[in-house]
Formats: sequence, structure tokens, C-alpha cells
Amino acid sequence: MRLASLASRLVIVLAALGTAACAPDVLRRPTQLTTVSDQPPVIIEVMDTAIVSLERGFRRRIPRGSTWTLIGRSPEGQVFRPVDQVFTVEGEHVHEAYLVLDGDRVVGFYLPVERAFAPARGGTDTRLSIRRRER
Amino acid sequence: MRARTGFVAAALLLVLSGCATGAKYTEVASTLPPLAPSQGRIYFYRPSAFGAAVQPDINLNSQKVGTAKPHGFYFVDRPPGNYEVTAATETEKKLTFTLEPGQERFVRLRIAMGVLVGRIIPELVDKAQAEKELSSLSFIAEPLK
Repeated sequence: MRLASLASRLVIVLAALGTAACAPDVLRRPTQLTTVSDQPPVIIEVMDTAIVSLERGFRRRIPRGSTWTLIGRSPEGQVFRPVDQVFTVEGEHVHEAYLVLDGDRVVGFYLPVERAFAPARGGTDTRLSIRRRER
Repeated sequence: MRARTGFVAAALLLVLSGCATGAKYTEVASTLPPLAPSQGRIYFYRPSAFGAAVQPDINLNSQKVGTAKPHGFYFVDRPPGNYEVTAATETEKKLTFTLEPGQERFVRLRIAMGVLVGRIIPELVDKAQAEKELSSLSFIAEPLK
């Protein structure tokens, strides 16, 4: 009986690991980035940490104090690249990502290698507390 | 008792024998060749000896650049562009990122538990974080050997 219980637990653990191994990749669609070269560059600083969920993929943390520079615009919003840090989104695979904002709302992420937009879950519910600053 | 000690020693030896040895990052960092202005540099490192037996090939845009050797690091210089790092064990995990001229990128090779064997997850890491982790790691001068 005890052996059967152990075996069933092992099956559950293996199934969980197997499921994790087969996580679907980040949901994304092709998009078009139009770059800007503003002088001086537009920099924003995140004033409060925010957690953003993707439509598909793991949740991401946008830390307080992180700074981002505006590099362009896509149909979904303004695209900001992290300054002196890296940012990635992860599903089955890991992708470098930039922040896409509509005003102060996080609408998703721009994936520069894939030239794609990965939408945040819940549309535009996540607002960022940001401060614009000169570099 | 002696048998147990012997077993522990053998297990430790087995783990450590799979680890990189040699000059530490802090000793070689200042002697590494300068980066050409038209190139970017990509560092690969694996800080943990956990799952030391799992050392898959590390591929950059489908070309082998080394293996995931525990406690070791190496680098390659490449032209600017888009890059994909893959590490295949029981599953293939990819990392995609861009590289600009003069830019340094740091790819940490993290081991995670798999169904049958561990799997290597390539992660893009900030320079500050990477340099902390690199300080105790050994330089692999010829990662393809």
C-alpha cells in the first residue's frame, strides 16, 4: 500500500516535470517597429515594482528603479529598451524583450530578434508608476 | 564507516572531476584580448556544479561554441546581429538576443531538473550580476577541445 502511494506520488512529480518541460512558448505576433532618435533621449524610471503576466509564458517583474529608454513605436505602443540591464520573457524558450507602453500601461513586450509583439495578459490592466527624466 | 567515507570521497571526486579548472576570471579578465570595435563579445558561464555529469554542447546560431562545463566560462567574438543560443539535453531550450558593436553579453547556463536528466537553461544576465558570478569561475581557453 505504502509502495503504491510512493509510486503514485512519483508519477505525479514526473508528470509535473514533464508538463514543465513542455511549456508553450510565449504567445506573439509579428509587428513593425519604427525607431526614433530623440535628442535628448527619452528615459523613464520605474518608481514601483510591477508584475506583468503574459498571455502565455511566465510572469515578469519590472523592478523599481529600473530605467528604460524610448527607442521607437509599434502599432501597440511606445517601445522602451532597458538601460544597463537585460530583460527577457520566458515560455518554452527565453527571449530578449523590450517594454511596450501605452501611456503608463504595460500592453506587452517587443521581442527584437523575432520582431514580434508579446501581449500582456488582461489587455492593459497593469499600470506602471513612472517618472520621465533627462539622461 | 570507512566504506561510507570512501563512497562520499568517490562521489565528490566524480563531481569535481567534471568541473573546469584553471585561471579564475579575476586573474585573466585584464589579459583577455581587446574587443574589436566592429564586434560584440558573448560570454558563456556555468556557475553551479549541480548535475555536473550533464554537459551538453552549447550552440550559437547552430554552431557549436563549447559545452556547459561546471564552474567554467569562455567567450566568443561575433559581428552584430541576432543570436540564438541552444543547449540540448532531453529538451532544447533556446535563448534569443541581439548583439551590437562593442557590446558584451553574458549568458548564464543554469541547470534545472528534468524528467530523466537535468537540462541546461541559457539565461541572459546583466553585466554586474555576471561579473559577481564569474569571479570564482575558471577560464576555458579552448572550449571546443
